[in-house]
Amino acid sequence: MAMSSKQIVELNVNGIPHQLLVEPRKTLADVLRDDLGLTGTKLGCEHGVCGACTVLVDGRAIRACLMFAVQAQGPEITTVEGLASDGELDHIQKAFAENHGLQCGYCTPGMLMTAHAFLAENPEPTREQICEGMNGNLCRCTGYQNIIKSTAAAAKAAK
Amino acid sequence: MTSLIGQKFVRGDGLEKVTGQARYTADLAFTGLLHAKFLYAERARARIVDIDITAARAMRGVHAVVTQADAPMVRYGMFVKDRTLFAHEVVRFEGEIVAAVAAETPEQAEAACAAIRVVYEDLDPILDVEEALKSSSPLVHPDWKSYQTQNGVERGPNDCGHMTSVKGDVEAGFAEADHILTETYQSDMAHAVPIEPHAVVAQWQGDKVTIWSTSQVPFPARAGVAETLQIPQSNVRLVVPHLGGGFGGKCDFHFEAHVALLARQARRPVRLVFTRREEFVATDKVRHASKIELTTGVKADGTITARRARILLNSGAYCGDALFTTEIGLMMVAGPYRVPNLHAEVHTVYTNRTPAGSVRAPGGPETCWAVEQHTDELARRVGLDPLEFRRRNLVQAGDTGQTGQRFISSSAKECLERAAEIAGWPGKDFAPGEALGIAVGWWFSLPASSGAYVKLNADGTGTIVTGAQENGSGSVMGLATLAAEELGMRPDQFSIVYQDTESGPFDLGSAGSQTTFNNGRAVIEAAGEVRTKLLRKAAEMLEAAEEDLELVDGAARVRGVPSKALPIASVAAASQTSSLLIGSGSGNPPSLPEHDLSGCGGRLGYSAFLAPSFFCHIARVRVDEETGTVSVPEVTAVHEFGRILNPLGAQGQVEGGVIQSIGMAVLEGSQYDGGRQLNPGLLGYKLITAADAPRVNVELLEDPVDHGGPHGAKAVGEPPVVGTAAAIGNAVAAAAGTRVRALPMTAERVWTALHEQEGELA
Ligand code: FES
Ligand code: FES
Repeated sequence: MAMSSKQIVELNVNGIPHQLLVEPRKTLADVLRDDLGLTGTKLGCEHGVCGACTVLVDGRAIRACLMFAVQAQGPEITTVEGLASDGELDHIQKAFAENHGLQCGYCTPGMLMTAHAFLAENPEPTREQICEGMNGNLCRCTGYQNIIKSTAAAAKAAK
Repeated sequence: MTSLIGQKFVRGDGLEKVTGQARYTADLAFTGLLHAKFLYAERARARIVDIDITAARAMRGVHAVVTQADAPMVRYGMFVKDRTLFAHEVVRFEGEIVAAVAAETPEQAEAACAAIRVVYEDLDPILDVEEALKSSSPLVHPDWKSYQTQNGVERGPNDCGHMTSVKGDVEAGFAEADHILTETYQSDMAHAVPIEPHAVVAQWQGDKVTIWSTSQVPFPARAGVAETLQIPQSNVRLVVPHLGGGFGGKCDFHFEAHVALLARQARRPVRLVFTRREEFVATDKVRHASKIELTTGVKADGTITARRARILLNSGAYCGDALFTTEIGLMMVAGPYRVPNLHAEVHTVYTNRTPAGSVRAPGGPETCWAVEQHTDELARRVGLDPLEFRRRNLVQAGDTGQTGQRFISSSAKECLERAAEIAGWPGKDFAPGEALGIAVGWWFSLPASSGAYVKLNADGTGTIVTGAQENGSGSVMGLATLAAEELGMRPDQFSIVYQDTESGPFDLGSAGSQTTFNNGRAVIEAAGEVRTKLLRKAAEMLEAAEEDLELVDGAARVRGVPSKALPIASVAAASQTSSLLIGSGSGNPPSLPEHDLSGCGGRLGYSAFLAPSFFCHIARVRVDEETGTVSVPEVTAVHEFGRILNPLGAQGQVEGGVIQSIGMAVLEGSQYDGGRQLNPGLLGYKLITAADAPRVNVELLEDPVDHGGPHGAKAVGEPPVVGTAAAIGNAVAAAAGTRVRALPMTAERVWTALHEQEGELA
């Protein structure tokens, strides 16, 4: 009976296509974490406020706790695990690691994904724009100072 | 040889955190894992008439249902043994755990919780602290007298710990005063809000259990499991994977035993992960709501002559580790000021609300805020600039503190002057509604035992095995620098094994800003032992005298003869056929400075401040008169930390603390309807975001002490959160022309204060 309520979902995550049998009520975040083992995507509130679960869906920053997996079929989904290629950190990951843009690291995957979407649209941001752009992700440790600095450094490195 | 101390090092765990590979408790995978859910009381005070779990036990997917009937009847608690794992006969707050379920899916566990039938007889909740202290009040704990306590705890009905601090003759002091000012300040309950919610996994093998937990204090948590389940501590292993922040909310022993009990009954591993609502309602570890009454006498020239203080802390249903707040709050009432005559008392009051305990800098921000508002009001009374008033009263070297401790040195004034300079006090070019506010304060370093092992490996790397717990601040990551400094190596050559009770020696955990201060000493001692052995072996291999050797750049070499050298790796490799290069350390904690407790009462755990540090914060605020909204465009924070070992880490602590404190100042507080929280979520309980966060000007001063931590360091983690709310309060008062005497200073409260003032003027 439980099986009959499940349905086949096709997800394209970090460039790899997956076919999964999941219940339609399952969020994208839960499917990424539980079914695909991609635990880099964090859950901090499960009500759309903290931003820890942010992933990219066709390049747009999306809260994976607010989206059902069945809604995410088709587009290219990128999680924090998909950022580095061949073990080489991308420029945003590097900037956060080098500029002390993290402490406990729990907000970090979400911050990195938001920074990606933000910098794609604002390649040369001012400090104010960074503060606005990163506004949807909570960090309790850093006071945001080094997150802002890391994002600015990443923008610079991309040039 | 250049010292590594004070140099900037990028933290060692950054790589795994930016790649998503860092595993936190909720990320761990287990074969046959079950999911736990708790059934909460959802009412403030009631008698349990009946609990029926039969239906729940029979449900599909359910493997365990437990209540207090399944647990040993043990009362536990750090200071007062006043609680049981599950509700026993009564419930005392809305988040009290009545039962727990383990099932194959979280949904099944939740459904089973809903199927547990509990019959309650509701009772009128006890909510107000003043009412609770009256002799006519019903008791939250009718059997309080029979509870065991730690030594020295003095209690009363509905009061799980009261303390008094007395100095001089307060009446004589008031008689000398030209002005006497009495004010009352109140703060709402606030939360630690780590972004990672609590999570616990328990798995048994025979009669031994391994528990992975989001704990800041693995050793005390292990002791709690052993005590409540009545099993030997050696049968409990507590491991903390990466920890997603704590801020005190994950201190003390919490839910580990509940999950272990479920796993034992289910015979399968069980995982508990809190929702955000549970984080607010059930963590039973919040910052106390408080009421702070201050009466101060002051001479016309601004000299403080006497102070009387009374603090009431709303401790909720259980004592937990609340008495830290009581003790420290008491020590904050004089502030870093010369107060020759003082009478202060604090009561930790039981009510039917969420239990409070030590959240980052317990008793600090709220007391500092009240005292510093009061200080500005005193300055206004005598017509002095707030800066000048403070100058005249701050403690200096040679002064005696609240409990008679003599200050060997004091950087209080230096912090004040430096902050004033950076912030441009008293400020100019203010936009409408803008002003500056100032606050000063002090904090202490906590002496405690702590241990570590250090070993050198054949490839020339080192390993530190420590009992210390990393909460995210980087304090454990920073231990590598201390070991590297002793051994002439680089910090990145050390790996660290930490937060596992089976490997590291005892440590208090990530609490009281004590990691670097205490475990740092232990690591240096352990590395020192390795150094001695390394030099002995190298001397033998180089055919040189030990005294002539130095350890530099990963090599042992003869001083002045760089060619006569051996890489540490070769010495370490050679030692594998003789005596190994290993060491252990357990730095002896320094004792408290001499002080005098005559006339004082209660358990005074912080009766004197060891290696006290000082700070001054200045905030610029903008008050929108239409809406009452307060924004904070700039904060200057000057801290003296003895010796700065890890500048990036220390700066990060200050920045994070300042922003947290802004939240406490203007946003963060729980609203209540009777005994129920009204805003237990991040939509209703707002945190500061990047867009609200001002630029923080941080300056770190040094004043190394020889009775302190490694290389003269003092505690760093907690002080940064203490002063900003106070500075903001004073800035709001200056900008609005009226004072808000409640924390948080929300738009509504500011607007009301502005309006009342208009009313008064009309
Ligand atoms: S977990 Fe999705 S926004 Fe918090
Ligand atoms: S680094 Fe801990 S929440 Fe951001």
